[in-house]
Amino acid sequence: MSTTITINGKKTDLAAQSGPLLFALARRNIYLPTACGGRGLCGLCKIKVLSGACPVNDIEKKKLKPEEIADGMRLSCQVPVADDLSVLIPERLLSARRYRGIVLEKKLLTYDIAGLTIGLIEPETISFAAGRYIQVESRAYDGREGVTRAYSLASPPHENKRVEIMVRKVPNGACSVWIFDHVKEGDEIMLSGPFGEFGLSDAKRPAVFIAGGSGMAPFWSMLRHMQKTNAARPVTYFFGARTQRDLFLVDALRALQRQNGWLTFVPALSDEPADSDWSGERGLITDVVARHFPDTSDHEAYLCGAPGMIDASVKILARGGMPLDRIYYDKFA
Amino acid sequence: MNDEKAGSLKPSTLSSEGFLGSDARPFEEIIADDKRTLDRLGISALRMAAALESVYRRARDNLGAAVDLGSGRRAVFHESMGRIPSPLGGGLFEKGEAVVTDAQGNELLRITALSIHLVREHGFFQGRGAHFRIDPEKAAEVLGPARP
Repeated sequence: MSTTITINGKKTDLAAQSGPLLFALARRNIYLPTACGGRGLCGLCKIKVLSGACPVNDIEKKKLKPEEIADGMRLSCQVPVADDLSVLIPERLLSARRYRGIVLEKKLLTYDIAGLTIGLIEPETISFAAGRYIQVESRAYDGREGVTRAYSLASPPHENKRVEIMVRKVPNGACSVWIFDHVKEGDEIMLSGPFGEFGLSDAKRPAVFIAGGSGMAPFWSMLRHMQKTNAARPVTYFFGARTQRDLFLVDALRALQRQNGWLTFVPALSDEPADSDWSGERGLITDVVARHFPDTSDHEAYLCGAPGMIDASVKILARGGMPLDRIYYDKFA
Repeated sequence: MNDEKAGSLKPSTLSSEGFLGSDARPFEEIIADDKRTLDRLGISALRMAAALESVYRRARDNLGAAVDLGSGRRAVFHESMGRIPSPLGGGLFEKGEAVVTDAQGNELLRITALSIHLVREHGFFQGRGAHFRIDPEKAAEVLGPARP
């Protein structure tokens, strides 16, 4: 028996597919984000089902709000493909693909952050907006299962035949340890994406970027894309680290600053020894931002980093008068 | 426990090492044994979760700088991007861990947002040998949950 799924009004024959909708869509090259592998735990694969689905199950009742259920939202991993279905999938998700790539370059940016450049083999190109993320599939190693983890794209959108990511080594982290200790240049690697909504608004207001650690990635993408597209807009980029050994790309960002009058780069160290040769800003990144911008009411802000840094930054920016709806951040959902 | 939940606790795409470690005991038995320990110590799982969360929050809000917990003990938050779903349901939890060490720098506890949730909502401290297991007796000794 053949099953038909109508996606955003267009019919697709799923030809006797069975199993969850999430995987049926993936077999049709439609990749919805998931952090739990289809176990109904993360809620990231939710889409709107217009018709044909079985009743909402208990797992979905725990993950979806009543108003979402009333609106037809479903966890695609919990909807079996049994009858013809009609679904709505946001257009931005339809551009996500699964990619086979090859590691062109792997280099240490700091002692615990690696940069990976991956050439795309199939498909050969990717289209994305700066700020988006991809999911990397690690392979099983040392008795550990393969996992899927999200990393912001560090490469600019105009370089569409390869992608760059920045990976911080998390002790015992399944994917980051795999990338650090097992992946070699020349290895094949599987990716999917792009995903996410983080990215620059169309406004022309001066922008404040705040990042720490591997949170550098989306801004390294955005800034190079802004340069390429002559998107002149005042940007002050605060990058927080503990000590000089946690800094990276400083020379490249200073060069970008020299080439572009709209960019000011402010690296700041919170735990650098007082007697070191560091002549830049010192202190928690939030204190440094507050010193530079006691009044933030005319700006908008973009944040990427650990949740603690983001929470503290939001407080500082709001205290300076910035409306919350002008603060964009990516905690890596 | 149903098969689906049991599967979520084992090594999977959710957690490559799973939540049971090398523990061969059934899930229910792990919870029951830790509950007996808590009862002997006179501490509820809720109170233990509150003590863990207090240290976790203080370390998290200090953005990587050490928090002095007294008696030479310190807590430092190690940031990590991303969020992880609870294997038992209940939402997505930020990654990152607060590591508590003694005066000599020996690691005493490793606390995550997900671990706190599992203790609070399920009384589940994770299996022996699991990377993020919180031994209730050790946690009680380190945190002194009489004063959370």
